[in-house]
Amino acid sequence: MTTQARSLPHRIGATVLSVAEQLGGTSILATQILARLSPRSLDRHELFRNLNKMGVRSVPMIAATAAFTGAIMVIQAAPLVEQFNATGFIGWGATFTTVRELGPLLIALMFNGRVGANNTAELGTMVVTDQVDALRALAIDPISYLIVPRVISIISMMVLLTVIGDLIAILGAMGTGWALLGVHPRVFIQSSVEMLTVWDFAVGLIKSGLFGIMIAMSSCYFGLATRGGAPGVGRAVNASVVASAAGVFIADYLSTFILD
Amino acid sequence: MATATTAEEHADDLDIVAPSALRAAILDLRDLWGMFLRTLYYVFRGRREPGAIAEQMHAIGNRSLPFMCVTMAFIGAIICFQSALQSQRLIPDLTMLGATYTQLLVRDIAASVGAMPFATRVGAGIAAEIGSMVVTEQVDALRMCAADPVDYLVVPRFIASVVMGTVVLLISGFVAYLSGMLVANVVFDVNVHTFINFSMVGLADLAVGLFKCVTYGAAIAIVSAHRGLTTFGGSEGVGWATTQAVVGSCFAIIVLNLVISSVAYIVLF
Amino acid sequence: MIEVVDVRKRFARPVLSGVSLRVPKGCIYALIGPGAAGKSVLFKILAGLIAPDRGEVLIDGDEITTMTPLELAEARRKIGMLFQNYALFEMSVADNIAFPLRRLFDLSEEEISERVEERLARVALSGYGHRFPQGLSGGQKKRVGVARATIARPPLVLYDEPTAGLDPVTSQKIYDLIQDEQQKNKSTCVVISSDVTGVLTIADRVGMLHRGKLIFDGATREAQESDIPEVRQFVHGLTEGPL
Repeated sequence: MTTQARSLPHRIGATVLSVAEQLGGTSILATQILARLSPRSLDRHELFRNLNKMGVRSVPMIAATAAFTGAIMVIQAAPLVEQFNATGFIGWGATFTTVRELGPLLIALMFNGRVGANNTAELGTMVVTDQVDALRALAIDPISYLIVPRVISIISMMVLLTVIGDLIAILGAMGTGWALLGVHPRVFIQSSVEMLTVWDFAVGLIKSGLFGIMIAMSSCYFGLATRGGAPGVGRAVNASVVASAAGVFIADYLSTFILD
Repeated sequence: MATATTAEEHADDLDIVAPSALRAAILDLRDLWGMFLRTLYYVFRGRREPGAIAEQMHAIGNRSLPFMCVTMAFIGAIICFQSALQSQRLIPDLTMLGATYTQLLVRDIAASVGAMPFATRVGAGIAAEIGSMVVTEQVDALRMCAADPVDYLVVPRFIASVVMGTVVLLISGFVAYLSGMLVANVVFDVNVHTFINFSMVGLADLAVGLFKCVTYGAAIAIVSAHRGLTTFGGSEGVGWATTQAVVGSCFAIIVLNLVISSVAYIVLF
Repeated sequence: MIEVVDVRKRFARPVLSGVSLRVPKGCIYALIGPGAAGKSVLFKILAGLIAPDRGEVLIDGDEITTMTPLELAEARRKIGMLFQNYALFEMSVADNIAFPLRRLFDLSEEEISERVEERLARVALSGYGHRFPQGLSGGQKKRVGVARATIARPPLVLYDEPTAGLDPVTSQKIYDLIQDEQQKNKSTCVVISSDVTGVLTIADRVGMLHRGKLIFDGATREAQESDIPEVRQFVHGLTEGPL
């Protein structure tokens, strides 16, 4: 009982300190990145390698996720639609939710799992095998050589993949609506085009950009902070995906209310 | 019907883009199924390590509960806000907001949306832990001592993930309900009494939601443990396994959700 | 004790291409060879952790490649193994050492703790039982590994790189420990080591693997006087030669 009482404030304090350390470390990393954001110092080769690996290679997974998500959304809405006989609105309902909310969010979560985790693992491996120190010894700045291209790739690819994912999710929803509820694609498209605004699209893309920043910063920070061999890399990846998921949800919450 | 078309479209896509990827996916599914069967066998016939299940329940359940509650509070608020915004464009009347939200929450959101952050946290943890044990030869050492890794490592995590996954998803789903209610009340002036409306929640919705929780818990444990046990190489391998565990579990959740939801729609509603 | 007949194994490329060797009972057998020669794979095949593509592996007269998992578990009671990366579990040192006893044998807790104490004293780690492996030095972890590998008094002990990354003094202590253990239990030991000079001080017989083949198998003295160019170069650590 006494140990419990003693350890609880201790545990809370330790958690607060470690979160503060992570936030502080991330901000320092962010300023370091901003200070090095000039096109001249950017390593083109490293940038294109990352763009390809993070963006192009993620397309099949994002496409599959998006198609399934679109289908699920219509299936979930189906009982409601039948109840209110609102087949005319299913197109708008599905596209609105996809474009503004579900598309960016789900794609960010999958992107976080694939690209964010991988990025932390790669950086973490470089740290524990002394490759980052080796770069420093060769007078190559690890931040501008390793981190800046990754951050740029993650943020830009997150936005681009959201555009692709949104389109595929809408196609998936349209296909399911046609097969399940007999809503003709023409009706589906008509209702979406009539009621959607450009702002709805913009909100989705701003959100995905914010999610990209969250994933980029947390995966790079935890990658560079890795300690302790192979188990350390595992722990770093774990901490990184959890932190970026939390970051994504908080950013989503704030942006949903601000970007009304 | 709906499942068939989307599955076929999906299969066609893969076939054109990368036939080898499809073959790999089928092999992977067979592996996962085999591992699931072995896990089930050991759940009933295995040798219990005292305390192992309780330890995993603590790690998987208690320790992810704060993260899950915070996450689902945000999700509940977002979803409620979004759907209120959406229905306001059609009908200005928000009296049915609570009822619809509750139904969706019970049938799908609490389980399926909650399972994604749960998979991120728990799946990454399981794969990182088992993967580190593989690359440091601890799994070989276990086998030398006649401890089958599936029995010794996977079974406690499987049981803990199924049981605690369901519990955590229920609790965090309730948190999402409260935060949704708060948003409806504060932002859209929906009275709390109007919001609390269970008229649209049937037994079928409850059954589907619970079934989803259990299935996701099992899927997360099996996929992540499989990724962990098939780790090779050093620290790079552990990172790769962890990545694969998160992506694989999230993808499994989405596919299972589609299957369960469409079967439920066709059979129950 | 061990008889390996024409074992072949390939992963992406052939790792073992037809290895045959015999390790007589009660001897210390050193398995040497350059990196990526297939030593570790052969070791895991001996322990039944990897199945060979072809060939026979007999441990104490029993063919292990065709065993069912249950029979294999039974056969492993006779084998102790020290792993290259220690492979210590995240439990206390005493629990680590007791692990094989608890899993493989039906003993009372008193008997187990008695034998754990005896083992700890044997590897000069008395009083470390409650510590955790994370806080130990490399040499101490290796000694815990040796204690765990030998606690069940197995007739066959496999040591994978017992001295990798250790200083010369600590290495010699580990070699002495291996030799003492072997003499006391009359067990058979197979040792993989990159530290050729050190391991030859305790080995009775030597086998050298090169590119997936056993190019030498004989007594330690014969190895030191061998005319085979690869063996001579490797044993004497020369820079000039075919390797």
